[in-house]
Amino acid sequence: MNKYGLFLGCNMPAIRPDVERAMRLAIPALGIELVDLEGSACCPAFGTFPSADEIASLAVSGWNLSIAEKEGVNSMIQCGSCYSVLRMAREKLVKDEEKRERVNDLLKKAGKYFEGKTCPRHVIDILFNDIGTEKISQSIKKNLKGFNAVVQYPCHSRFPSDVLGFDSPGRPRMLQKLVEALGATVQSYSRELQCCGGAGGFARQAYQDALKFAKKKFDAMVRETQVDFIVVNCITCLMHMEKVQKEFSKEDCEFSIPVFDYAQILALCIGFDPKEVASISIIPRDKVIEKIIGAK
Amino acid sequence: MNDLAKANHNLWKEIMEEDCGDIRHCFNCGTCVSGCPAAEADNPLMIRRLVRMVLLGLDEKLLEDGTPWMCVTCTACEEMCPMGVKPFEVGLAIRRWQTRKDETYLPLATTEIFETGHTQPVEKIGELRKSLGLPEIPPTIAKFSELLKIFQAMLKETEVVKNNDYMFKEGNKK
Ligand code: SF4
Ligand code: SF4
Repeated sequence: MNKYGLFLGCNMPAIRPDVERAMRLAIPALGIELVDLEGSACCPAFGTFPSADEIASLAVSGWNLSIAEKEGVNSMIQCGSCYSVLRMAREKLVKDEEKRERVNDLLKKAGKYFEGKTCPRHVIDILFNDIGTEKISQSIKKNLKGFNAVVQYPCHSRFPSDVLGFDSPGRPRMLQKLVEALGATVQSYSRELQCCGGAGGFARQAYQDALKFAKKKFDAMVRETQVDFIVVNCITCLMHMEKVQKEFSKEDCEFSIPVFDYAQILALCIGFDPKEVASISIIPRDKVIEKIIGAK
Repeated sequence: MNDLAKANHNLWKEIMEEDCGDIRHCFNCGTCVSGCPAAEADNPLMIRRLVRMVLLGLDEKLLEDGTPWMCVTCTACEEMCPMGVKPFEVGLAIRRWQTRKDETYLPLATTEIFETGHTQPVEKIGELRKSLGLPEIPPTIAKFSELLKIFQAMLKETEVVKNNDYMFKEGNKK
């Protein structure tokens, strides 16, 4: 299937629409058709309905899943927690007949129905397994030669691996290979697999502790690599890994490592306008962008 | 000191759901804590401790305990538990129990989703979206007011909205 439904979620269209633009330009340039999932809502995030009422939560997920199903497409998801929420909801709805019936009773009144015929997929999975690094390397006009990148795997795309995994659970490498396909050197470091700490309630309820947690990661990163920029593939990682650097800098330790979503850096390499695909950031990215555009 | 004579021995039945695995199999190894980001907080999230509280029936203590809400929802614990307990699901089930017992636990974001379909105001940055070459309002539920009404009608049939109906209001949006 080379047609996908683009699931937007909430943060990307509202806070980082340049990532949405990058996806809408770069993915079709690789031969994948993207359709809109009209009328889709919040996934709903784990801290919302899933923390209050499971059936209500599954009904909202079912609402979203049924839209893709009606279009006959798998959905393509960038946000890690949207991916996890929808994948886990689908699993429950497929396996648990009673829950499925209760949810379908609610959905039917809304003119919708869930069968589980299609499945949400993370964009890393689609880029690596459906499109492939070779195709990506052939599709770019600029490359990232000379850059050292580090990658951030979205924690929500790893576990529980039997429900939603697509890469090696203990040693994921797909995002690294996707970045290498653009010509960059990807450097590993000891805390590469530590999550950003930005999702859920940790940063909300214990902000200083969450900052300390993230600081360990960034300290290891600068100590062990020559990082020029970080490549993420989750909207929370993108926003949080910028935000914490700004916070560290308030405490007299300068951190200014640019962060890009993979679709943004891909779109830049394909030749799309940085004003459209990479214009919103807290940590300045201009130098990296200029260098990419200048590369032949 | 916890007085076990006053404990609620049915607490686990009130809280646990099928998806949590069998918490009686938990042998308190701490695997779910060792890989947990939120366990690094000063007042740490420790699922193994919460599991003991549930099994011992310490309902008053558990109702006051805000640590389940610190989970970053990474589900690493679910991957690692050697006993087939689903610590992540246990945390969510405790949140739901707390919300049922005490409405002040109800996440406000649920009311935002009810009102607009989203947790963020996706319809409020039209200018910016347009300047990037995107439709001003994304083609989500934010664009279809009729669908939003149907969505709200669906949610009104659910327990959480029925039980807290004064918090869920339609029409706050233009
Ligand atoms: S990992 Fe499993 S068995 Fe070990 S303490 Fe946590 S819930 Fe209990
Ligand atoms: S899912 Fe929650 S409880 Fe489990 S390891 Fe992640 S943050 Fe900790």
